[in-house]
Amino acid sequence: MGKILMLNGSPRAPRSNSKQYAELFSRGCKWDAEYAAITRTNHLELCQRLEEFSDLLFVFPLYADCLPVTLLHFLKTLEAHPPQRKPTVSVLINCGFLEPEQNELAVKILELYCRQNGYPFGSVLAIGGGEAILGTPFRILVRSRLKKLAASLERGAYGRWKVTMPISKGMFLKASTKYWLSYGAKNGVTGEQMATMRIEE
Amino acid sequence: MTLILSDRPLHIPDMDQSTTELIDLSALKIANCVGCFGCWTKTPGKCVIRDDAVGVYPRIAASDRVLYVSRVKYGSYDTVMKTMLERAIPVQQAFIRLLDGETHHVQRAVAPKQAVILGYGDTSAEEREIFRQLVARNAKNMNFAQYRVEFAPEDAVEQVVREEVASWARS
Repeated sequence: MGKILMLNGSPRAPRSNSKQYAELFSRGCKWDAEYAAITRTNHLELCQRLEEFSDLLFVFPLYADCLPVTLLHFLKTLEAHPPQRKPTVSVLINCGFLEPEQNELAVKILELYCRQNGYPFGSVLAIGGGEAILGTPFRILVRSRLKKLAASLERGAYGRWKVTMPISKGMFLKASTKYWLSYGAKNGVTGEQMATMRIEE
Repeated sequence: MTLILSDRPLHIPDMDQSTTELIDLSALKIANCVGCFGCWTKTPGKCVIRDDAVGVYPRIAASDRVLYVSRVKYGSYDTVMKTMLERAIPVQQAFIRLLDGETHHVQRAVAPKQAVILGYGDTSAEEREIFRQLVARNAKNMNFAQYRVEFAPEDAVEQVVREEVASWARS
């Protein structure tokens, strides 16, 4: 039986959607799956811990069209301090946009990293609408794909999946506007204020 | 307004300082974005982290011509440039629009840009192709009206930038 280290590369790891995705993944996984958030100070510790694991699952959001810099920094440390036994690397990525395909470039970057550094590459789950989908009835779709992701790691039969809200783009725009208006209202900020065109003025 | 945003010091003697600003990110203190959404939902258009980045993203937004100079790492911008690009999200709103059939954030007052992205370092053909694809994605989210991606070895970066700046003077 293998052992999975889930590394959260979100800049807001303790309060992140990525943390929730990792928790859901571990619930559907029969293997021992341990979780850690990448911080500024724990890179070397995480590199050392990797010796114990057969699989590494990077969990992170799309950030400015690719990997969050939190994860980029860690990858550079890992390149300099690789484990002796290299785990199979899989990816669980989410973006706030409806199209899970917007995550593909970030996955390509990680695949390239794995090729350059000798890590076997495993499975990918790309989630669209990732900021809000867990608060909708469509979370059941996410759970189902997370189970497939976990099963693929357990069997060594790797694959690629994507999931998003099965709604029209027009409906997504309306739903996302409502979501963000509600987010602002909790801070006492109106939609008009949120829509300001001013930058640092 | 033209902006040269670089992850390393550059010496460009022929640069017209009345129209062009050079920002060396390596000389600035810029923390990582913490993903708090404050710039969208608490203080719209302003980052809650008040470090050197708050002087940079308004310049990015206002510029109609940009030259970004970044080391390429794994087909991505290396960490210095990537940190700044992540901290530039106050130039967008939380709200989503359709652009070319895809969902993207609404831009605030961001001038459409003629962009040149200069990636440098010891890069493979595969890394260069991924980087080109990354810039194509950025074009949608950073309001690039037109863009060009160039590559240079590290020791040729300054010369390539000087030639680009000289070409602006001629145009």
